[in-house]
This record gives sequence, C-alpha cells and structure tokens, in this order.
Amino acid sequence: MYVIIVLVLVLAFCRACIRADVPEEQKPILRYKIEDESTSYQTEKNVTINGVDYLESQLPNGKFGGTFVTSTIGEGPKTFNPFNAKDNISSAMSEIMYDGLVTTDPETGETIPKLAKSFTVNGCEYLINLRKGLKWSDGKPITADDVVFTWQNIIFDGYGNTSTRDSVVIEGKLPTVEKIDDYTVKFVTPKPFAPFLRMLSSPIAPKHIFQTAVNRGKEYFDGFLSTNTEPKEFVTSGAFRLKEYVPAQRVVFEKNPNYYVINKNGEKLPYLDKLVYLIVGDINNQVLKFEGGELDEISLQGSNVARFKEMEKHSDFRVYNIGPDTGTMYIAMNMNNRTDENGKFYVNPVKQRWFQDKNFRQAVDYALDRKNMVFNIANGLAEPLFTPETLNSIFLNKNLPAYGKDIKKSEELLKKSGFRRDKAGHLVDKYGNHVEFDLYTNAGNTEREAIGVMVKQDLEDLGMKVNFKPIEFNSLVNKLMATLDWDMVIMGFTGSPLEPNGGKNVWLSDGTLHIFNQRLEKDLSSKRYPFENRIDYLYNQGALATKFEDRKKFYDEYQEIVYDEKPLIYIYSPIRIVALRNKFKNIYPTSLGGVTHNLEEIYIEDK
Amino acid sequence: MQILLYILKRIIQTIPLLIIVSLISFFIIRLSPVDPLAELRLNPSVSKETLQKETERLGLDKPIIVQYGKWAKSFIKGDLGVTSNGERVSTKLKERIPNTLLLTVVVIFLSWIVGIPLGILAAVNWKTPFDRILTVLTSIGMAIPSFFFAVLLLIFAVKTGWFPVGGLTSSNFLEMSFPQKFWDITHHLILPVTVLFTISLAGLQRQMRANLLDVLDGDYVKFARAKGLSETKVIFKHALRNAVNPLITLLGFEFAGLLSGAALTEYVFQYPGLGRLILEAVLKSDINLVMASLMMGAIMLIAGNLIADILLIITDPRIRGGQA
Amino acid sequence: MIKDLIKQLMQDKFARIALIVLILIYTALLFADFIAPYTIDFSDRTMAYVPPSKIFTIDENGKFSKPYTYNYKREFDDTDLKIVYTLDRSQKHYVKFFAKGQPYKFLGLIPMKRHLITTDNDGRLFLLGADINGRDVFSRLLFGGRISMTIGFLALFVLFPIGLLYGGIAGYLGGKTDIIMMRFAEAVMCIPSFYLLIILASILPSGMTSVQRFLLIVIILALIGWAGFARVVRGMVLSIKNQEYVQAAKSIGASRLRIIVKHILPQTTSFVIVAMTLSVPSYILSESGLSFLGLGIQQPDASWGNMLKEAQEYTNIIYRPWLLTPGFLIFVAVLAFNLIGDTIRDVLDPKSKVR
Repeated sequence: MYVIIVLVLVLAFCRACIRADVPEEQKPILRYKIEDESTSYQTEKNVTINGVDYLESQLPNGKFGGTFVTSTIGEGPKTFNPFNAKDNISSAMSEIMYDGLVTTDPETGETIPKLAKSFTVNGCEYLINLRKGLKWSDGKPITADDVVFTWQNIIFDGYGNTSTRDSVVIEGKLPTVEKIDDYTVKFVTPKPFAPFLRMLSSPIAPKHIFQTAVNRGKEYFDGFLSTNTEPKEFVTSGAFRLKEYVPAQRVVFEKNPNYYVINKNGEKLPYLDKLVYLIVGDINNQVLKFEGGELDEISLQGSNVARFKEMEKHSDFRVYNIGPDTGTMYIAMNMNNRTDENGKFYVNPVKQRWFQDKNFRQAVDYALDRKNMVFNIANGLAEPLFTPETLNSIFLNKNLPAYGKDIKKSEELLKKSGFRRDKAGHLVDKYGNHVEFDLYTNAGNTEREAIGVMVKQDLEDLGMKVNFKPIEFNSLVNKLMATLDWDMVIMGFTGSPLEPNGGKNVWLSDGTLHIFNQRLEKDLSSKRYPFENRIDYLYNQGALATKFEDRKKFYDEYQEIVYDEKPLIYIYSPIRIVALRNKFKNIYPTSLGGVTHNLEEIYIEDK
Repeated sequence: MQILLYILKRIIQTIPLLIIVSLISFFIIRLSPVDPLAELRLNPSVSKETLQKETERLGLDKPIIVQYGKWAKSFIKGDLGVTSNGERVSTKLKERIPNTLLLTVVVIFLSWIVGIPLGILAAVNWKTPFDRILTVLTSIGMAIPSFFFAVLLLIFAVKTGWFPVGGLTSSNFLEMSFPQKFWDITHHLILPVTVLFTISLAGLQRQMRANLLDVLDGDYVKFARAKGLSETKVIFKHALRNAVNPLITLLGFEFAGLLSGAALTEYVFQYPGLGRLILEAVLKSDINLVMASLMMGAIMLIAGNLIADILLIITDPRIRGGQA
Repeated sequence: MIKDLIKQLMQDKFARIALIVLILIYTALLFADFIAPYTIDFSDRTMAYVPPSKIFTIDENGKFSKPYTYNYKREFDDTDLKIVYTLDRSQKHYVKFFAKGQPYKFLGLIPMKRHLITTDNDGRLFLLGADINGRDVFSRLLFGGRISMTIGFLALFVLFPIGLLYGGIAGYLGGKTDIIMMRFAEAVMCIPSFYLLIILASILPSGMTSVQRFLLIVIILALIGWAGFARVVRGMVLSIKNQEYVQAAKSIGASRLRIIVKHILPQTTSFVIVAMTLSVPSYILSESGLSFLGLGIQQPDASWGNMLKEAQEYTNIIYRPWLLTPGFLIFVAVLAFNLIGDTIRDVLDPKSKVR
C-alpha cells in the first residue's frame, strides 16, 4: 500500500521535472475599444422661472428613478451634523445633505455659485446674492437669516468643530457677516484673504432647526443631529436627505423633493431616488462587493486595476482613469534640535548633525529608486512625486524637473559633508560615527511596509545602516506628535489640489502637523531654520494675496524650497482609477471632481 | 431559600473579581503608548484648539489613577461614558448586541444539535474507524485559521453569486415584506455561521465524546451492562443522564461567550457585531468602549457560571448538599 | 514511558503520518539556510511578484538537457494598465546543486556558501515565486517557519512552570491564599483572550529588535494561557494532596515547596503532556491571527502569519496563488499537532476532558 503511494509520488515528481522548453505562442492581444466621450462637462446655469432662481442642468435629459450604491471604507459617519464633523466620511455625508454658498467647478477648479445666485469680491468685501424662492426640504424658505445664523452663531461663535473658524482668523480677527436684505449677505474680512472665498463652501444650516440647539449650549450642540437622530428630523438643502442609517452597514439617502436644480424640461432633479453608502471595513471587501454586484462604483488601486480592466471587456462596468490623486507618500527626517523638560535631546545630537544637513537629505533623496517603487508597489499606477503640491494641483510648480536614482550624485553629496566609507563599507560621518538610524512606518499598511523595505535597501547601498521598524499606527502618531523620539518615517498626507493653504498645519513652523520639526507647546517660539522662516512668509503672503497669479508666485517658491531643502522627501502620488456601472449616464469624469461630481444629473438608463 | 442565599453569596463574591478585571484592563490600556486622538492629529484640517478640547473631554491630561476613579464612579452609576468620537457607549453597544446575539445563538444552536449527537456516536463507537474519521475531520475543522477560511468563503460567494458578500441586510431592506426580510437575513448569515459553526462544532463534539467516555467507564454503567440491559438502553437511560452535568457547565461558558463576539470572522465578513466594534476600539485605544465591553464580557462569564451552578443544584441533589 | 508513547504513536496510522510530516518540517527548518536558495532578506526588486520559476529539462530543440530556468522580465502595459511577465529566453540559467551562492552560517555557527539548490548569479530561482519586494517565497517560508513553529513551544515553556507552580501553591495551601490567588486568575480569564492579546501586543514598545519582539510575543502568548492552566492544576492538586504519600511526606517534615514540586506536581505529568501538545496548535493560530492584524512579527522578518497577510488581498489569491503557501503550511502543521495530541491523549489519559 505504502509502496504504491511512494511510487506514485516519485512518478509525479519525475513528470513534473520533465518540462519541455517550448515558447508559448503569442496570443493576439484584443484591444478593447473605448468610445471617447470628448464632450466636456457643461456647468449648470442660472435660470429664473416664476420668480424662483433655479440652476439648470445643461446635460441631456434623463429618466427619473433608481438607486446608486457606493461605499465608504472605515467605521462610517460619526455624526450627521456638518459642523461637528471631524473626519472625512462625516463631512462627505453632511455635504450631500447641506449645500454651501459656493462650490468648485469640477473642470477648472474655479469657485462658482451654488446656494448663492452670484457673488462679487471687492478686496475685503464679499457680497453674496442668494437665490430667491428656494426651500428647505421641509418647505420653509432659505433666506439670508440662515446664512447669517450659520456663519455668526454657529461658526464664528465656535460651535462644534472649530477648524473652519480657526482657519478664517486673520491676524487674530474674525471676518464679519451682515444681512443686507432677505436675499443679500455681506462678509468683510479684516484683510484681503484669498482662501476665504473657498471657505464659503461650508454648509448652510436651517436656522429654524439649529436655533434651539445653539441656545442650549455647546455641549448640547456636540451631540446634536448625531447618528442616533431620527432621519425624519433632518431638514436639508442638498440634493438628498437622510432616509436610514444602519450602524456599521449603510447610510441611505433619498431624493430631496425641493432641490433647486432642474433639467431642461423644468423638472426638479436629482434623477435618482436613492443614494446608498455601504460602510465597508477594507478595500478587499469593497472589491468583493463590487464584483458581487452590490456596489455601483469603486475606486481601484494596484493590481485590482489590471483585473478590472480585463473584466471590463465582458462586464457591465467601465474603468475610468482620472489621473493623479491627492494622496502623497513621503519620507521625513526628524530635524528637531531641541531638548525635552529634562534637558535631554529628542534626537541624539550625533544623528541631528546628519538630519539637519541638507546634503545628507539630498543624498537620501537621490538614492531612492522611485521608478521601481511605482512599479512594484503601485503596480505601475502612480507618478513619482517631488513637490508637496500633488500633480493635479492647480498650484503645481511645473518647472521642477523629475529625476531618477543617482547613487553617484548621492555619494558626491555625502562626500561634501565629510561622510566616508570605512573598510567594511559602512558609512561614517566626519567625526567617525557610524551612520545608523531607525526607519518607522505604521504596521499593517502593506504599501508602506513594502516601501520601507525598499528604502532600507536603497540607503544601504550608500553604506547606511537602517533599522526598519513598522509599528502600530497609534503608537507611531504618538511618537511623531508627542514624544518626538524618532529618526526617519514613511507617512502620507492627503493634499488639496485647489488650496495650498489647507496644508498650513504642515508647513507653518508652528503648525500642528509640522512633522519634520514638530514644536510642542513649550517650544513654539524656538529658533527656526532659515528655510522655515521663508516658508512661513510665503504661506502667509500666499493667503493674503487675492489674484491667482500673485498667489502662484508665492506657492511656486515654497515648492522650490521644499524641492531643494528636502524636509519631506516625496515618493509618489497614486493615479486614481474608478470603475462605474455602464447603466449610469451623464457621466463626465474630471480630474478634480472624480466621476460622480454631478450626482444630481446622473440617471439610470433602462435596458 | 438556601438557593437564594447561595446566589447572593456568589454575587457578593464577584465584586472583587470585577474590580480586579477593571483595574488590570484599565491600566494596561492606558499605559499603552496608543493615542486615541491619533487620527485627528494626522488630519491637516483639524485645528489645535479642537485637539485641546478633545484631550480635555477624554480626560487624557489627567493622571491614570484619576482617570480610573472617574471611570469607576460613573460606571457604578450606570453611565458608560462616551467613545472617543463622542457617541454614547451604551447606544453604540445597544446597536450591536442584537446582531451578535443573533449570530451566536444560531451558531450555538446548530453546533449543539449537530455536535452532541456526533459526540455520542463517537463515544459509543469508540476506537472504531468511524470515531477516528470523525476525530480527523474535527481536527481539520480546528486547523484552518478562521480568518483565512472566511476569506476563502467570501471569494466563493463572489465567484458563484450564491451568497451576498458580507454584511447583515441588503440595501433595500427597509422596503421588504416580512418573509423577504427573514430570508434576507438568513441569506447573509449562512457564510459567517458556517465559519463559526465549523470551529465550535469540533470542540463540542470532542467534549461530548470525552464526557460520555468518562461516564461509560463508571461503575454504575458497568453494573447496568452486567445486568444485561441492551446497549441502547444503557446509554440513553444511564450514561447520558450523567453526562449532562458537564454539559450544563459548558452551557454556562457558551452563555458567557454570547456577547464576546468573534472579532476576526466578523471583521472579514463585515458583520455589524460586537466583536468588530471591540476590535476597532481596542486598536484605537478607545478606553470607555473597551472597558465597557470587557466588563460586559466579565459579567456575562460570571453570570454564565452562576447559572450553570444553579442548574446543577437543581438537577443534581448531591451537589446541593455538598456546596450550599 | 516516552519510548512507549512513541511506539503507540507509530501504531496509529494518522499519528504516524502526522509525526513524519512534523519531523520533515522541523528538519527542513533546522537546515533552512542550506536548503533555501537565498537568504531571508535577499531581494531583487525588478522581480516583484514574479511567478514560480519554470524549470526545463528538455530544451527548445527537443533534447534532454541539464535542468535550467529562465528569468522573468516585466513590462507595464499602459492600455491594459497591468504588468506583464514574460520569460526572458535570451539566457539560460542552469540549476545547480550544492553550488556556491549567498553566504550564510550553517546552524548559526559554520560560515558556508553552498546551497542545496541554486542557480548562477544572474539567474533567479524562485521555486515558489516572489513577493511584493521580489523576495523568494520559498526561502522565506523556511525562515518564517522557524518563528511560527517555535513560538508556540516557547510560550508553553514559559507558561507551564508558571501555571504549575501557581496552581500547585493555591491548591496545596488552600484557604484565603487559594481564594485570593484564584480570584486573580479568574480575573485574567474573564478578559476575552483575543482582546487581551491585542491590547498586550499593541503596547509593545516600538524600536525593538526582531529577537526582542519575538520573545515579547512569546511572553504575551504565555501571559494569556497560564490562568486557565493554573486552575486545572489547582483542581488536580486538591485531590492529590489528601493522598497518603503526601500526608506521609508532610509528617516527616518536608518543606511545603518541596512537597508541591517533588510530590504533587509530578502526578500531573500526563495531563501536562496532553495539554501541551493540544495547545501548541492554538498558539500557532494565535500568532497568525496577530500577524493578520499587523501586531505580530514585523517586516522585514518573516513568519507564516505575516506572509499570509500579504495573501489576504483578493487579487493576490487569484493571480498569485503561490502567496497562499504559508496558509497551507499553517494548516498542515496545526492538523499534524492536533492528530498527535489526540493520540497521545488517548494513550495517556483516555478520559481526559482536555479539548
């Protein structure tokens, strides 16, 4: 019996060993034709019918009805109150329900009117004309009172998440808001302040609902319109309103019957009856749900893209390449030169000399093999990145050339600063210290862990000794923000393609996310590096200038400084790929807005 | 009366236990370098003032012992506090408890009605090929990492399209009629139940087998056999009745496990249960939520043991005399 | 007794196969440096995710030849947005046995260069393909197995003495000591073990070397297991301590610790052996669960758990099935341990209630 089994195994092994070297025939590659929709997106236009100022869709008329199912990764919304939202998902959910005065043109990135019919900017004065005849979802009119209430009594008075308020404080002063008449509002900023216009996209709240909550104090407000609130109690201005929230499963929105966008037949949009966000835990599950037909839209990454591309030919969806995403991946070195309360340096003084040496940072940069990182880790679906502004940013400085791995250049730079190799090939600095440090990233993130492994190898080519240590995300943040005892880290941020001022927490030298030289409360007035001072200046000036061309000059220079000084060494920016079912029409993907920026105009074509 | 006194005594005994559990867990969690505000801190659009407010709200700026005192005080009052997102812990738990109960009750029910008979069959046919094969099969059930099994089943669901991909209800659940709702939930439950069933079945079958073997070895069974009773009669009349006691203890443990959830399985299937909630809370060091769920687990365990003991007293007069 | 045990084991068909499998695995792990074509951190980044090397024994002219392989080359196809792997047929790389390759220390002592199987320096022999960093999965399986297959045993060696002593003392002394000690053990048991595991793993100080991390995970696993074990031991001690020879030892004035260690604990041997073999697999599974959550062994070190993590991605399961091999090995090893444990229990302690 055993003899037979062993014999079979041996035979199987021999069979496996004998393999003929016959080149596979090249299969003819079937190229799938994509009909190119070259027509670009037409922004909605103002029209007035019977004294009501509607927005009219310029796209072909569609059919009413149907559901659009999309998803969000994570734990789902934490609140539905737009003023309490601190995380992206909660803000996204509330933005669906509450429109702001202005919005962003998905094609050009310009600020265009939304709830406002029009606006004029005159230095510090922002005059907003509201649409007449608009109604909240409960039928009450939307007027200047709501706008003034929202900005004065909620935002400026510091209710909920005060981030909006904090970012419009200009030299210690808040802007003012004033009702001119029922449909006109005037904002005045203490100084010209370019980012303010875009801040006006903050949601507007219905005064008759929020008033009581505001009267009951900030603590009450923090729990107001939480995820436990009955959906019926939401009064909204956006295209959809809440219908159902099932924790850890989904959020269901239904059409707002009073929405102010109409199609060319004068029928009120949105076309869709329902909008569903499934709450999924991770990318894997999201992909499975899309394939199982439970989702209509999905963002794809890495090797999934190739598979979806292949399936696209015989499936009911299309894969859209939207271009560079807003995500960035970077390496930072701890340039901190201060001591803690006990007089101990956060960073070992020996290592400080390396990390504060521009040549050293540049050498690290030139040693990185971005090309293979893009290839291996992002499956080719990313672009090498050299500046803090992402590749789709309207403020991107296009004059900064890209480069590849250049070990020779790295070694030259190191030599300039007195580094040399000892007999064993280890890099030593000019005082004879071995160059050895820790490289951190958050454990469990396959992408960053894989980058870490490659960075370690790249730097070891220079003779450095790198101890790569992925640690738990929360512990890592604690290190970066509080204990400051780290050497080098791989992290990522999500940037804003429209407003560099959104990155001020990172780039201002006293910012809360000034990661490469984090200043704790007690160190806020400590000495700055010259380049930090310059970036502070550029950032402040960039925000105060109002014309795009003037601002661009300031932001161009800040990018040049980062490109040269390398406080953060950017690695790559992924390309955004979205798959969407074919049954949805009126789809006009743009780099800034993605695929579903015009949700109210999207309709389902029956087969 | 005696029983009531016994119960009272047991309840009083649990108090120090609960204190120790809460102390251990609280200190381990708070001593960890994990920052509950990590996500907020890394969000470029969150301002310093907001962070400061959050720190104060969660009491992170106070010494641990003060934090513990604050927590314990409100816990005794029945206030479980708020999560690091500012939601009430009690509502958060309330959302998840029914889902987890549903899943575990179904799994326990199925594994008992399958596991107990299989255990009896294996014990009766001790050392026969049937017994061996069952042992190997249950070993296989125990050898697959549960999360891995779950992932494979999910892929199976996508490939065949026979089952929904995770979750508990479909997106149009609200509009369904009652039979449709019932079917929808059943449909979603099949895969996670399969995973958990496979795991618990193996354990239960082994337990029952061992119990019965133990009893079959007892003197009175030998005596009954010697009397010339048929084997079926011996097993069902004498052996099984005595094999019930350990099962009652086991039932107590199962009761305790009702609310602890199966974190990894729930995670892979995106099941909206307690296990996933606690897992995420632990990873984020969301202290109030973790503490509440740990205390709940401890109380359930104690209650389970207590119920088992009381049942034992009722079913078995011998123990009553000895213990109470 | 041991000899007897092995004899009994070899008589059982399943146990025999399981034992052979385990011996094979452990031998392979012991000689991992020699068997593996590459060292644990060898990587060729131009070879990320390449499929297993194809080994040919019949050349393109249809003649038998020494076994050889081709390297893969890859290209990015920008219409299909995917990376295409093709064989680079321009150069043959012959498979060599006992040839020189990457230097290593045999059994950690003797510096050596020879490997069981390798190919020339430009060639890449990836028997089970490569992972995201272009590292050889086959080699890493061998090195990772060293961690996965020993972590359970080490944890047991830490927790058994603790549990034995703790349970022994509590059971023997009885009274208030017993109550206090048992309440504490019960409190530890009250915390669901999986969450305790995560909490403990997440407080591991960062910046540890891989050896330290490994040892700490061992200790964590042990910290979770001891309480339940101590409780069972206490129960056994309670019944043993009234036996005559214990009473006899007491009367001749042996110290309490001596009585516990010398007279009482040895009585629990068979229980200990059974419990040990049956709990090794659960520790192997725990390690993989921890690594699944990113809290176990960390990159660039390998363990079966953290290698399997990479295979969780749906596309990897479909396109790169070779990444699943660690899962398969975990399954085989755990199954083998379970089968042996069952048999040992039947031999030593047929009525045991240990699951």
